[in-house]
Amino acid sequence: MVSGRRWAERLHLPTLVVAAALLVAWSLLARRYGAYLLPSPLAVLAGLGEIVTSGEVWQHARASLLRIAVGFGVAVALALLAGLAAFLSRAARQVAQDFLAVLNSTSVFVWIVISIIWFGLSEWGPIFTTFMITLPVVAANVLEGVSAVDRRLLEMGDTYRLSGPLRFRAIVVPSTLPYLVAGMRVGFGLALKVSVVAEIFGVTSGIGYAMNYSREILATRMVFVWALVMIAIMVAVDALLFGTLARRIERWR
Amino acid sequence: MAAGPATPAAAPPKLRVDEVGKDYAIPVIARVSLTVAAGDFVCLLGPNGCGKTTLLRIIGGLEPATRGAVALDGEPIVAGRAPRHRVGVVFQEDRLLPWKTLEDNVALVLQPLGLDAAARRETARRYLRLVGLDGFEGYFPARVSGGMRQRAAIARALCIEPDLLLMDEPFGALDAQNRRIMQREVRRIWRETGRTIVFVTHAIEEAVEIGTRLVMLTARPAQIRELVENDGRRPRAALVDDLNAMIMEEVERQQGAAPSAGA
Repeated sequence: MVSGRRWAERLHLPTLVVAAALLVAWSLLARRYGAYLLPSPLAVLAGLGEIVTSGEVWQHARASLLRIAVGFGVAVALALLAGLAAFLSRAARQVAQDFLAVLNSTSVFVWIVISIIWFGLSEWGPIFTTFMITLPVVAANVLEGVSAVDRRLLEMGDTYRLSGPLRFRAIVVPSTLPYLVAGMRVGFGLALKVSVVAEIFGVTSGIGYAMNYSREILATRMVFVWALVMIAIMVAVDALLFGTLARRIERWR
Repeated sequence: MAAGPATPAAAPPKLRVDEVGKDYAIPVIARVSLTVAAGDFVCLLGPNGCGKTTLLRIIGGLEPATRGAVALDGEPIVAGRAPRHRVGVVFQEDRLLPWKTLEDNVALVLQPLGLDAAARRETARRYLRLVGLDGFEGYFPARVSGGMRQRAAIARALCIEPDLLLMDEPFGALDAQNRRIMQREVRRIWRETGRTIVFVTHAIEEAVEIGTRLVMLTARPAQIRELVENDGRRPRAALVDDLNAMIMEEVERQQGAAPSAGA
C-alpha cells in the first residue's frame, strides 16, 4: 500500500488523471470544430510519427539547437567573464549590474526587429536574439553568485595567503556554480522559446520555421506536432542535462 | 625602533604588541602593549564586546590598527599585506569550504607553501590525525559534527606550522562537554607542537584551564587591566574567583558606560 502510494507519486498519478481528462476533452472538441481549428490527438500523434520517420524532426531540431548553442553559448561565456570582472573590481560589478537591468527590460521583439535590420534575413537573426535575451538572465545569476560568496571564507583565504587565482578557483567558483546552473536552466528555457519566435523570420530551417510553414500550408496538425517537439526538447534537456548537473555540483550538501 | 616596554635580556619576544589602539566611531581599544615569548599560550580575557576580537584581528593583520604597531619576530605586521611569517587563525566559525572534504580543506592552505600534491595530502592527513580526525579525511564538513569541523579548522591552522596561532573563541559554538574535550585537546596539541598561541575567550574557567599567561582587558575602550602568569603556583579556584570578580566589574562598567557624547 505504502509503496503503491509512492509509485503513484513518482508517476504523478493525479497529473496523469487530469491529463487524460484533458485528452478526452480535446478529442471531443476536435470532433466538434474540425481539423483546421483543432486537430485530434490521434492526428497529432500520427504527424509526429511522420516527421520522425522522414527525419524532418532531427533536421529542424538540430538547426534550432545549433543556433541556440551559439547564441546561448556566447551569452554564458560572456556571463562568466562578467562574473570574473565582478570578482576583480567592485566598479565592474556596478557597471555590469546596471547594464543588465537595462537589457532585462528590453522586449524580445525589439531584438528580432533590430536583428532583421542588422543581419537581414539570415541565421544570425535568431542567434543574435537568443544571445541578447539570455545574456542578462545568466549574467545576473552569475553576478548574484559572485556577490553572495561568503566574505568570511575569502578572509580565511587571505589569512592563509592563497593566491588570487587559487582563491578564485577554490572559493569563488564553487560557491557561484549553483547560481550559474540555475541561471543556465532558466536561460536555456528562454533561449528555446525565443529562438523559435525569431526563426519565423528569414530562415528556412528550425522548429519555428517548420511551425510557421505548417501554418501557411494550413497543416494545423503539424503546428501541434512541432509544439510537441519543442516541449519534449525542453523537458529532456532540463531533466537530463541541468537536473544531473545541479545534483552533481551539490553533492557535498 | 622606538623603545617599547622593556623585555629583560636574552630571547627577543616572539610577538610584540606596541601601544596598539583602534577607533571605529568610538574608541574600541585604548592602548595595549604586550609581549609574548615563543611557546607562550596567551589567553585574552575580557567582557563581551570589549575589543578582544578586534585586538586579535589586528595582531593577525586582518585589520589595521589606528595607532601602534605589531611585530612578529621583529617583522612588522601590516594589514592587507601578506606577512613573511606564517599565521594560523582559528575563527569563531570553522570557515571550512563546504564543497571540499576535510582533507582537501587542510591540504588547500598548504598550496602557497609550495608542497607538491602528494606532500600536501600526506601532511593534511598527519594533522587530521593529530586532532583526532582519523578516518574522517574524506568527509564533507556538512557530514560531521560542529566539534569535528572545529577540529579540522585547528588542523588546518596547525599544518602550515605557524609562527603564531590565533584562536578567536573557537569553542563558542560547542556544547559544554565538547568544549571541555576540545580544551584538553588544544592543551595537548600545544604541548606536543610547542606553538605560540594567542587565544581569545570570555570564559574564565577556559582561560585558566589552558593558558600560561592570562591577559585581562578592561571594558571598552580596552586596555590591559591585569596580567597573570598562570604557572600553577596559585590555587586554581582562587584564581578563577579573582578573575571572575574582575570581569564582573568590567562587564558592569561596560554596560553602565554608554558611549558618552562629546569628548
